Amino acid sequence: MRRLSALALALTLMLLLLAAAPPAGAAEPAAKPFRIYMALWRGWEDAAQGFKDYFANQGIPVELIIRDAGQDKAKLKEFVAEAKALKVDLVFTWGTTVSEEMLGRFDAVDPEQHISDIPAVFAVVSQPVGGVVPSLSSSERNITGTLYLVPMETQVNLIQSYRPTKRLGMIYNPLERNSQVAAEQLEGIGKAVGFDVVALPVEVSEGKPRAASIPVKVAEIKAARVDFLYIPPDTFLNINRDILTQAALDHAIPTFAAAENPVVTSKAMFGGVYRYYTVGQLTAYKAEQILVRKIAPKDIPIDAPKRLSVLINMPVVRQIGLFPPMKLMGLAEIIDRTEAKENKP
Amino acid sequence: MILDRTRPLFIRLLLLVVLVLVPPVAWIAYQAMGEFTRGLVPEMDKKAEAIGRDLELSIERAVGYGIPLDQLQGVDQFFAPVLAANPEIRYLAVTDRGGKVLFTEGAELNALNAIYGGVDFATDMEHSRKFALGSFIDLAQPLSIKGGRIGHIHVGMDQDYVRGRLQEILIDLGVVTLVALLVAVEILLFVVTFNITGPMRVVGTVMDRVRRGDFSCSAGVTSDDEVGRFVHGFNGAIRLADQLFRRLEAYMEEVKAAHFDAGVVEKVKDIESRVRFLFRFARNGQPEVVNEHQATDIRLPLFLFVFAEEISRSFMPLYIRDLYAPIPGLSPEMVMGLPIALFMLVIALASPSAALLANRLGARRVFLIGLVPATIGFVMSGLAFTVYDLIAWRVATALGYAFITMACQGYIAQVSQQRTRAQGLGVYVGAVLTASVCGTGIGGVLAERVGFRVTFLVAGVLTVITAVLIWRLLGSAQPVAEGPSPRKRDFLRLLRNWRFSALVAFAAIPAKIALTGFLFFLVPLTLNRNPSIDLGDMARMMMAYPVSVVLLSPLVARFADRVGWRAGLVAVGGLIGGAGLVLPAFWGEPVQAVQVAILLLGISHGLSASPQLAMIPDLCWTECRAIGQTNVLAFLRLAERIGSFAGPLLAAALLPLYGFEGAVAALGWVVLGMAVVFALLSFAYHAGPHIETEWGE
Amino acid sequence: MGQSSIAGGAGACLPPARPVRWSLARKVSLALLSILLSTLVVTAFFAYYKFESVYSAQVQSRYSFVVFTIKKKVEDSLNLGFALRQLRQVQEIIEREKSRDPQILAVEVYDYRGEVLFDTDRGAIGTKVSESLAEAIRSGMQQSFSVMDEDNLIVGLPLVNNLGKVEGGVVLRYPIAYVEKGVSGLLTQLLKSIAIALVAASVVAVAGLYVLFGGVGRKLGSMERAMGEVLSVGGQAIPENGGDSFEARFAEFVAKTRETIDHVKDATDEVGRLDRLM
Repeated sequence: MRRLSALALALTLMLLLLAAAPPAGAAEPAAKPFRIYMALWRGWEDAAQGFKDYFANQGIPVELIIRDAGQDKAKLKEFVAEAKALKVDLVFTWGTTVSEEMLGRFDAVDPEQHISDIPAVFAVVSQPVGGVVPSLSSSERNITGTLYLVPMETQVNLIQSYRPTKRLGMIYNPLERNSQVAAEQLEGIGKAVGFDVVALPVEVSEGKPRAASIPVKVAEIKAARVDFLYIPPDTFLNINRDILTQAALDHAIPTFAAAENPVVTSKAMFGGVYRYYTVGQLTAYKAEQILVRKIAPKDIPIDAPKRLSVLINMPVVRQIGLFPPMKLMGLAEIIDRTEAKENKP
Repeated sequence: MILDRTRPLFIRLLLLVVLVLVPPVAWIAYQAMGEFTRGLVPEMDKKAEAIGRDLELSIERAVGYGIPLDQLQGVDQFFAPVLAANPEIRYLAVTDRGGKVLFTEGAELNALNAIYGGVDFATDMEHSRKFALGSFIDLAQPLSIKGGRIGHIHVGMDQDYVRGRLQEILIDLGVVTLVALLVAVEILLFVVTFNITGPMRVVGTVMDRVRRGDFSCSAGVTSDDEVGRFVHGFNGAIRLADQLFRRLEAYMEEVKAAHFDAGVVEKVKDIESRVRFLFRFARNGQPEVVNEHQATDIRLPLFLFVFAEEISRSFMPLYIRDLYAPIPGLSPEMVMGLPIALFMLVIALASPSAALLANRLGARRVFLIGLVPATIGFVMSGLAFTVYDLIAWRVATALGYAFITMACQGYIAQVSQQRTRAQGLGVYVGAVLTASVCGTGIGGVLAERVGFRVTFLVAGVLTVITAVLIWRLLGSAQPVAEGPSPRKRDFLRLLRNWRFSALVAFAAIPAKIALTGFLFFLVPLTLNRNPSIDLGDMARMMMAYPVSVVLLSPLVARFADRVGWRAGLVAVGGLIGGAGLVLPAFWGEPVQAVQVAILLLGISHGLSASPQLAMIPDLCWTECRAIGQTNVLAFLRLAERIGSFAGPLLAAALLPLYGFEGAVAALGWVVLGMAVVFALLSFAYHAGPHIETEWGE
Repeated sequence: MGQSSIAGGAGACLPPARPVRWSLARKVSLALLSILLSTLVVTAFFAYYKFESVYSAQVQSRYSFVVFTIKKKVEDSLNLGFALRQLRQVQEIIEREKSRDPQILAVEVYDYRGEVLFDTDRGAIGTKVSESLAEAIRSGMQQSFSVMDEDNLIVGLPLVNNLGKVEGGVVLRYPIAYVEKGVSGLLTQLLKSIAIALVAASVVAVAGLYVLFGGVGRKLGSMERAMGEVLSVGGQAIPENGGDSFEARFAEFVAKTRETIDHVKDATDEVGRLDRLM
């Protein structure tokens, strides 16, 4: 048996080598660094850092040309012209706006206004399909990129794996399109899987959501006797995360956040996210495939990191007394600031 | 016991052999099991400890984050994959400081509580501790947080697991013992017939002649054992009579020549003619030496040779696959089927000329000639580089196989008179089937241990031993010229007999297709895909075929003789075999389906093989008279080899179309379809003018 | 011997008995004992190899579990976004594992190019692992792989980051001698068992065969004696209790021989009388 399995292993290895071996020496550092143009939307953050660190970790020399639009759409036209003039090897675009403005929507690419000859990778685009690309399997052009939103099914599974849930609460900003979509998706899945969704929009006055209405809504959610409160990746709620999560904690409602910040820097109980840093690294991995392995961008599918980051906020867990299952504990990153202090006197 | 019969002596000997072989093997197996357990248990403990430590760290981490030990969540789901990945671990449990079971997976909570209740966990539990709980070994490791003990994690090892793993070897040893017994039977049968029964038969023949007053012969036995001593005395008695007669003869000659009295001479002449009338003595004083050959003389060499060939049975397609090299115009599956198909083809083509040669040169020489290509074939097959040269070496082996089997059949035909012909054929079939059981079984187990190539070399060594046996022990039989060999036209006439043609086309050929296509080709390939089946298992599964044929054939032969329902048996056999092959299409468990299919194929051939041959004299009454029954049978053999040749190729063609189990089933449908045709035709066998005219003659 | 009395002259008599050099029992004993010996040796061979495979599989599964726990720890760190090369704590992890089990020769972590990044044998850091190990991780499969080096066994697993990319591998080396030592006890035990079983079974076999073939020999001897008796003295060669068909035929043979000898002797006497008549 051992002989056979060794044989089988050898055979498999040979096949794999034939199929997948990169050309020898391809990974060796090139003499000249690759020049990468990084177009950012709201400054240097984790995705950009992950992108940069990947090259450093892999020992791939790059020269990064970093430009920040500062949330000003007008600057993006200049970026396109500059990238073309500098004849960079690759363009990195951050966010939906930057990507759509610089790379063009998939059905309206104009070589004059958009980057088309230079390969590009995009990151942190909420809905790339129908936007910059026609499908996830291929962009059909000189770009590829990564996903950063966890699919709703995965999020629901994660909540269910923490504790079986019959009723799921949600609070969202009705003015944000993303949040509305999330609420609809959640209800759809709830119907299919068999749980109720209590989705409450925050109050809006004078065209603006009111932060003061958040605790009221949380109280309503509590009255609806939900098992979990779902916090969507909502800009308004992100800004007001402390109000929201504190209110939930006051009512001892367990919270699940679809974004990093409510768990890491506030009091949401747990969350499942692709960390921006990891997304940045994955984007850099795709850039490496284009630059070093010379794979055409249209042959590189657009996907998300393989592993979800599960975040558990231990002080909140202890306060609510709803302990995570062991399996999840093993996978999760535990956030426990008080514990850390105790450990390092 | 009657000295000139093998059976009584042999049965006693067999009892002794069983008595001598089985208990020591069983005892050694028992000893080994004990040693296994002693050796394996510490190693299992270490693994359990490693697993326990890993779980301990996870639990301590969780507790460290402030989750009380008794409020850990999802512990069962956490433990389950660990249990699944480590079959020797039966349960995992967590107890608190007082020994109360908090969580458990794989065992009943109450059962563990009852057991742990009496154990004092408070003292002496700083380190892991092991204790036996019924058929489990419980390894308890302390859980502690910041130096304070909070409970224990228990890893429960299943002692039966060790036993289970080691039971696999008992099956191996069972096969070895079975094979050893069969080999012992073959060898002892040979020893008994060669040393006792054979000489005693010769003595019997001489004795019978002496009883009729014929002193012209003596027994040609010159061994230096009790039998030799007896025969020496026996011959001495005959020679004594002979010498006395010789002296009398000389005396009478003297009297006749020298005596003057004609009356005396006349009287002496009277005496002489009286003595010569009453007794017969050798003419020249040299007695005729009687040697008798028996069918059993050739049984051991034949057994050894077929053993050698069958050794590669269970893994031949796998070996071919290892050596695979593309042949233009052929699919990979075809290439893999080719060596097996060509092997069968060469046997078919070479057999008729080999049979002629055996008649002309004598069995012994043809046997020895055949051993040369066979030995080269075996050894070089083991050293083959690619499928190309493997085919060449297999063809060489096939040539040898044809020569040797024909030599053996010729030898048996020569030494057995017409009435013992069936018995002689039984010797042949018995040796081949026993060798098939042994070779298949031992070959797989051997290949598992030493690899394919060395196993082929073992086959080569066996053929060399065969050669020595033939060389030293088999007196060369006088070639007996058979009648003129039949012309082709006679065979055409045979084919015009629709009953015979139907038997060939719809019973004999599909049987061979199933044998070579399914058992020889598809079974090893199909079973090999399941990683939990090793070569030894595979060989054991394949052994079901020859074993069931060996067991069933003689019973069926007797049954068919009594009931006379031969065509029906052949039909039923064919249907069973075909149905077995179709099974994998309906059965979700492919391995079990294949095993049952092998068994059913064995039953099928066990049912149909001997009735098929026994039908021939009835079926081809006129043809047998015209060209001889032997030739009709030989033609049947030749014709069914079309199936042997087609089987692997057909299977190889079906393989890419339907996949492994699919190909087995597809082959099964073909075989079953043909069997159905034969079954329908068999109803017409006993009616119609054909039989009536035969009876009329 | 009184045969000469019936022969009526010197020179014609039954030949002296031929000595038995190789008795039947000895011949068959030889055959049976060689079968016995080879059966026992094959039995022991299989038992030994089976145990060896079970035992080494058990050892390997333990070490692959250890490797798996290291893999988990390293991958958790990788998922935080650090490069394998930067994970300084890995050195500590592997050294702790090695210190737990003196049988572990080394634990190595290497990157996808085969360069050793961390090694319990610190001197080896920076060297390249063998080609087979560098290849083994490339498939990124979940099952552990095992490779045999000169005199140590290696189990290992690929390290995969959360991008699904193989970052490197972790392997653990342990000596073949460890497995050999574990199974050597069985070998001596088996040899001992074989010796005992062989002796015991041989005694039974030889005794049984001497009884069995002694019977044959005695029967033949008595038939021969009866023949001598009948030929010299006269009477019947049928044993007291009747005898089987072969013995009956033999008795007939002896009677016929006796009759023939008597007849020839009578004829000789008659010719002699006629010869002397004149």
